[in-house]
Amino acid sequence: MSPRNLLSILFVVAVPLAGIIWSIDASRLPPADLTFNNSTEIKTVDPALVNGQPEGRIVNALFEGLVRLSPQERLPVTGGPKEWPGVAESWEVSEDGRTYTFYLRKDAKWSNGDPVTAEDYRYSMRRFLSPLTAAEYAKQGWYLVNGKKFTSAGAYLVPGDRVEVELNLEPGEHQTKTGELVKGTLMRKVPETMPKDQKERDKIQQRFYVDVDGQERCYVVTDPALGETIPDGALACRMVMLDFDKVGIRVVDPHTLITELANPTPFWLQLLGFYPLFPVHRGCLEKYGAPDWTRPENIVTNGPYRIGFRRPRDRVRLVKNENYWNRDNVRLETVDALAVEKTTTSLNMYILGDVDWIQEPPPNLLRELMESNPPRDDFNPAPQFGTYYYKLNVDRGALGDNRVRRALSLALDREDIIRTAVRGPQQPAFSLVPPGVPGYVQGTCAPRNPQLARQLIAEAGYPNGNGFPSIEILYNTHEAHRAVAELVRKQWQQTLGITVKLRNEAWPAYQDRLRMTRYDVGRQAWIGDYIDPNTFLDLYVSDNENNQTNWSNEEYDRLIADAERETDAQARLDILHNAEVLLMAEGPIIPIYFYYSRNMVRPHVRGFYNNALDFHPLHSMWIDRSGATVNEFMRSAKK
Amino acid sequence: MIAYFVKRFVWLLLTVWVVFTLTWILANFSPGTPFTSERSFPPEIEANLRRRYNLDKPAYVRYMYDLDNLLRFDLGVSTKQVDFTVNELVALCWPVSASLGLLALAWAAIVGLVAGVVSAARRGSLADFSLMSLATLGIALPNFVIAGFCILLFGFLIPLLPPAGWGGPRYMLLPAFCLGAPYAAYIARIARTGMLDVLSQDYVRTARAKGLSRRAVILKHALPTAVIPVVSFLGPAVAGIITGSLVIEKVFAIPGIGYSFVQSAIDNDTPMAMGIVVLYTILLFTMNTLVDAAYTWLDPRVSWDDV
Repeated sequence: MSPRNLLSILFVVAVPLAGIIWSIDASRLPPADLTFNNSTEIKTVDPALVNGQPEGRIVNALFEGLVRLSPQERLPVTGGPKEWPGVAESWEVSEDGRTYTFYLRKDAKWSNGDPVTAEDYRYSMRRFLSPLTAAEYAKQGWYLVNGKKFTSAGAYLVPGDRVEVELNLEPGEHQTKTGELVKGTLMRKVPETMPKDQKERDKIQQRFYVDVDGQERCYVVTDPALGETIPDGALACRMVMLDFDKVGIRVVDPHTLITELANPTPFWLQLLGFYPLFPVHRGCLEKYGAPDWTRPENIVTNGPYRIGFRRPRDRVRLVKNENYWNRDNVRLETVDALAVEKTTTSLNMYILGDVDWIQEPPPNLLRELMESNPPRDDFNPAPQFGTYYYKLNVDRGALGDNRVRRALSLALDREDIIRTAVRGPQQPAFSLVPPGVPGYVQGTCAPRNPQLARQLIAEAGYPNGNGFPSIEILYNTHEAHRAVAELVRKQWQQTLGITVKLRNEAWPAYQDRLRMTRYDVGRQAWIGDYIDPNTFLDLYVSDNENNQTNWSNEEYDRLIADAERETDAQARLDILHNAEVLLMAEGPIIPIYFYYSRNMVRPHVRGFYNNALDFHPLHSMWIDRSGATVNEFMRSAKK
Repeated sequence: MIAYFVKRFVWLLLTVWVVFTLTWILANFSPGTPFTSERSFPPEIEANLRRRYNLDKPAYVRYMYDLDNLLRFDLGVSTKQVDFTVNELVALCWPVSASLGLLALAWAAIVGLVAGVVSAARRGSLADFSLMSLATLGIALPNFVIAGFCILLFGFLIPLLPPAGWGGPRYMLLPAFCLGAPYAAYIARIARTGMLDVLSQDYVRTARAKGLSRRAVILKHALPTAVIPVVSFLGPAVAGIITGSLVIEKVFAIPGIGYSFVQSAIDNDTPMAMGIVVLYTILLFTMNTLVDAAYTWLDPRVSWDDV
């Protein structure tokens, strides 16, 4: 063989081989005690920045809030260590339901051994609400007195307010640090209000005149280190906001924390147990900065687990946190969360035993799984606190007429949609709020009635659909949404004789259209974050940015505001019921179906409970391969 | 030779700049923002987010920021995976795609070349017919179909290999086979055409006439010229295959970078999309440069001045 040929063969064989050996080198891990498919790569492990369930599963394992929610019903835990309570050992609620005093357990520690204190929670709340963090879920903290005012930076400040001015960081300091704080009293803002349009407001530099110890100073949000200019006579700062001492969270002593709410909020404890309000370790954040503080070797956590290994789009390996106060009740030493997106791949791995729990088998197999004979011992769909619905832009021609909106709803055959298009365990929906809130009676719309639908559309001036302007159903490009939209189109066309078109857009364009209300009928889904009708009904008050229907009703807004102030729990639910009755009668939205969870869980996984939030904390799970009893997941299954 | 590489390097810088600018314009003027999600934010939170992502600044200022960062090889933090910088994501995911791609290409090149040469040498025979039918099948079948068959066969019917995941050599075999199949088919066809072309040339007849064996003529005299079209194909193919495949990575749950090629654009993850575009530009340009350089080596008629 000539040297030239030898060379080329070497090149073709040796280079790939070297590359392969190199990549495999770091790829091998012993299997974890429990492996589950988290369905997607997580955005972050930073509680303040999480925005979805996959992140939530990890954050819930890494960090621990004042309150923990039970693995069964997802309600605040008040019992002993075996019931999985949070860092607060106990709490007291004032009579008006607005002041909560939390007593923190003294043995709670961070993974580096530092004690978990009330100050950690105050710091984390400040960070969560700070306009500089730009937390998407910040609204969850707005139930605190002045929470919204603090997050909104200068927007709602008025002369006389105590303010804190956060100065720019020194060059080279991590962005996660808090700049030096200058406290004072706001004297005036120039200009006093900023334009509503985001692009217009970008052009204006607002000046804040602040009295600091009797001296007037003018501050402008600008950063010379980024090449921005400081206007004459002004000082540069990072942000001007309300003094955080005015926000309803106070440290009494290292183990006592008080939260003060603007309104009695019966679900406040649920929110505290919801992962965005979980704390972070200040020292860790400030020492390493973002994103380095989330590295397995740097991160400091206070929950049952810490990160052992992480490879993007492959897995997050959770390892038991030996400094966790309740470590004796953590039974899984290691847990792997995979990021497999394709449901078929996920099911393959599940069937072959590589994965113990998947959240979603492929939709086209749901029927088969549900009707399998003998019944499966690892599949048990349960009602979920979410609704799939269409919303109507009431500013669009005929849709402004209530009779037309009602006719559209009456013409729908929801059973047929579920049977033909959805093909799963979902249930037809006639209200926005899903079932499952104790003490709450849903306000419903009428079931299918083609005759009445035709009559209403005739009364509105379109007998047999004559003269009805064609309407368009907007949805984001996805097989499942298309199937539903096609069926709805068919039902409307056949029942009402109207012309319906479909329009699918990629995710960002679809969102833009909804936001700018450039649509007729839009697909929407909403999954509740906590078990309370408010998480759904609040969406349709006039100034909610998720309303997006141009529907605005004073009576409705008043009812929701009344409910916010109501201290009696049952009376509050009754007011919310009236609000939903009104919403359904007005019909800016057409509910289609209620979600069902579709988990597949292997029989040897224990401590996994079906619940309406479809949230399953990892710390309560264990593995039992003896097969002596049916696991908790399957106990509620129909025989 | 040095002048050639210097010239190409200058062109590379220029190409990267042009591609970067075009992509930047597309990315920044397409609908949506990095924080478009199912929920809309109150105007206060949206204002905070806009400031955080510098969206409150005029476009040319943002462009200059981004260009400046590119010059310092700092592509920023991915907006969809905020725990990683783009550089880290590339450093962690690209080797996975690259090793899988190289393995796929290695088998594709070896099998394809052998099949092509054998077909050409035995033109019209049963071997030629079956090999070329197989190659047509390889080109025609999308690799997710091949993947489906492979998983069914080796995952379920003969449970030898894991159906998906990443964690050892076993995990690479199925995806590498599926990824390489269409390439092997292409290479076989190109090699066959190239070989047939060369075999009809005068110098081959001369070699035969001076008494060399058929085997020696094919391997020693015809092959180096016949592989030139294959090498031209391999250049861009290497750049393509080592940057991963969305389909293969999804079907086999492989943590490579191919997924980001498509998903970062859909997600409005501009920093990641920019990083990938720059990476791919550099790779493609480098591979094409190497291919051109290889001509001088494979074909004595081509000199450095020609390429």
